[in-house]
Amino acid sequence: MHPITRSATPDQPTPAPHRTRRRLLAAALALPLILGAAACGDDSSDGGSSSDKVELSIFWWGADKRAELTDKALALYTTKHPNVTFKKTWQANQGYFDKLATLTAGGNAPDVFQIDDNFIAEYAQRGVTLDLTPYTSDGKLDVTKFPKSLKEYGEVDGKLAGVAMGENTQGLVYDKTLLDKFKLPAPTTGMSWEDFVAWAANVSKVAKVPGTQDPSAVYQALWVYLRQNGKDLYKDNKIAFDEADIAKWFTLWKNARAAGATPTPDVIHEGNDSSVSKQLVVTGKAGTSWVWVNQMPELKKNTKSELGVIAYPGDPSAQWARASMYFSVFRGSPHKDAAVDVVNFLANDPEAGKILGTDRGLPPNLDVRKDVSATVTDPSMKQTIQVQDELGTKFGPTSPSVPPKGHSKVKTELVRIAEEVTFGRSTPEAGATAFVTAAKAAIGQS
Amino acid sequence: MTMAQMPVRPTEPAPPVPAAHRRGRVARRRRREDIAGYVFLSPWLLGLLGITAIPMLISLYLSFTDYSPLIPVTESNWIGLDNYRRMFTADPQYWHAVRVTVTFALIAVPLKLAAALGVALLLNKAMRGISAFRGLFYLPSLLGGSVALAIVWRSMFNGDGAFNSFLSIFGIEGKAWVNDPTWALPTLMLLAIWQFGAPMVIFLAGLKQVPIELYEAASVDGASAWRKFAHITLPMLSPVIFFNLVLETIHGFQGFTSAFVLSNGTGGPVDTTLMYTLRLYNAGFVELNMGYASAMAWVFLLVVGTITVVLFSTGRFWVHYSDSEER
Repeated sequence: MHPITRSATPDQPTPAPHRTRRRLLAAALALPLILGAAACGDDSSDGGSSSDKVELSIFWWGADKRAELTDKALALYTTKHPNVTFKKTWQANQGYFDKLATLTAGGNAPDVFQIDDNFIAEYAQRGVTLDLTPYTSDGKLDVTKFPKSLKEYGEVDGKLAGVAMGENTQGLVYDKTLLDKFKLPAPTTGMSWEDFVAWAANVSKVAKVPGTQDPSAVYQALWVYLRQNGKDLYKDNKIAFDEADIAKWFTLWKNARAAGATPTPDVIHEGNDSSVSKQLVVTGKAGTSWVWVNQMPELKKNTKSELGVIAYPGDPSAQWARASMYFSVFRGSPHKDAAVDVVNFLANDPEAGKILGTDRGLPPNLDVRKDVSATVTDPSMKQTIQVQDELGTKFGPTSPSVPPKGHSKVKTELVRIAEEVTFGRSTPEAGATAFVTAAKAAIGQS
Repeated sequence: MTMAQMPVRPTEPAPPVPAAHRRGRVARRRRREDIAGYVFLSPWLLGLLGITAIPMLISLYLSFTDYSPLIPVTESNWIGLDNYRRMFTADPQYWHAVRVTVTFALIAVPLKLAAALGVALLLNKAMRGISAFRGLFYLPSLLGGSVALAIVWRSMFNGDGAFNSFLSIFGIEGKAWVNDPTWALPTLMLLAIWQFGAPMVIFLAGLKQVPIELYEAASVDGASAWRKFAHITLPMLSPVIFFNLVLETIHGFQGFTSAFVLSNGTGGPVDTTLMYTLRLYNAGFVELNMGYASAMAWVFLLVVGTITVVLFSTGRFWVHYSDSEER
């Protein structure tokens, strides 16, 4: 592009610059390889002994409150183990898994990281997470006080890939202040889906606020609905529903929209697209939203209204105790023993449990949970515990196993296809066909 | 630009030396100077190699594998053309993303150029405070493809956003524009068009280069304003138009940030803002299928490259260089 061509004059038959250039090229090519090799060369040492200075990197997503509580709990660990310090990183949910994947690709995954059921199977099957099973048998990691289903929800292919840091279940949250203002009855656990839709349509009519967010794109609502119909979302790494089930689900909400029970499609999309703090029940754009019960404090923080929470409609025994999130240990961590000990501490230590409260869900250790329930002061945490304890008595005997690899893609496909139906660009039947195909492709089922 | 063109040669003549030694000395000195040249070049060169060239070559390799960021590259499997095959035959979302991107580029790029040229013509007048106006119009582009701007846009065109408040003055009830499948992409285009500052400044510079005598001569001949524009301004400006067209086309195809922010990274609602780069990002970072994402990136590179070449080859027919003696 520049008219500078002096170096190319033909009367200079000097091979030297080319050789230099080639050598430089080789050096430049080799440099990152060498650096890369140096970076991943060291993963055999183990700072397990209690006197070595260890700095553990730990990474989680969440809001300010979670950071504050986790900071405190980790500081407590450092007080008890002065040789262990932490390099803490945390951020909002959006972008968290992009960052985690990038760190992992660079061989720099944190020693301890938070993960949820969207990705735990993927990370476990790719060998990123440390298999914690051996630590449970030699007592370094105690999961004996966990509810059985909660421990099992961390197992992928028979290996313990993550330790549950909280238990939650589906929660239908409603704006109590709004309902009281118009003297409307609150929804109740166990009401049928049809009754709920009728209730919501009535709220829309009387209160002039759409009765409920349309949950047709909310995977955990569909999941409960499927289980109530004797199906499931997955079984043995395959989808466990058929087109008819999905068509029924989409039709239910098509009728609800026609009855005026939900907001307009653009607002429904906004609800589907928003973080916890912007759920429609919080922003006043709908009377109810479809969440997880441990999200109550975060929801409450963002609205002046009083909130109530019940189970999703239909038979509540289809709900289950889900691990809201886990801490996993990086298999390539140079400080595996120390990392496992920290995870053990966060899950089982009574003092740490009191600090962490129910921010990640109900404490996984049942003894700790009892302690926390007795002493918790935050009213919305209290409400979470009370509701979940009550629902816990209604759970059925079977709980689903952790979703397979590709689950997060299934979720986004459900949002896309359910919204196609919401916006009237597709019929419930065509949407059902499309979703079954897309879900199979996402989890690699032929 | 290739490395062969880099200016590394000194201009000063070598001092007189006996002829026998001269050759070897000169060669040695040249070599030394070559090395010095490369050393001075090295920041750029390392950047080019380390940040662009090597990763690109690696991504070409990865596009033939099932690489996921969660596993070491060495453990990924060579799967030949499978990624490419899947892209063209088995991924409806891929073609959807292509359609969205082409629609976006076809509409947003010409409109943006028209807006840039129009405003440049207005700002090419001699009047008081014109530089302040120029600055003002350039302001949106200073913020560039920034995330902050996209967030502002998102809240402006939301259901309870500023735009709807404005509409309500006229008794019009707006909708959540960014959340509506019909309006999400136009909203995105509007954001791109609004950021016309960079091509505008280039147009402005081009307009200043048009010899005033041409207009004077045309005026003497009684040409209307439109004829002056069509027969003097446009042809004289054609190299600048061409430059802006090429640049903005490439930009248009690469649009990512605003689409990502406006749709929370999903390309929604119902994939209506699923730009090619966004689909690529999701394939790599959400589905963790980096091999597939690499294949998408290479097809993208080839297609955008081809479009650029085609644009260049049409340039011959409509781009007029007034300094043609140099060509």
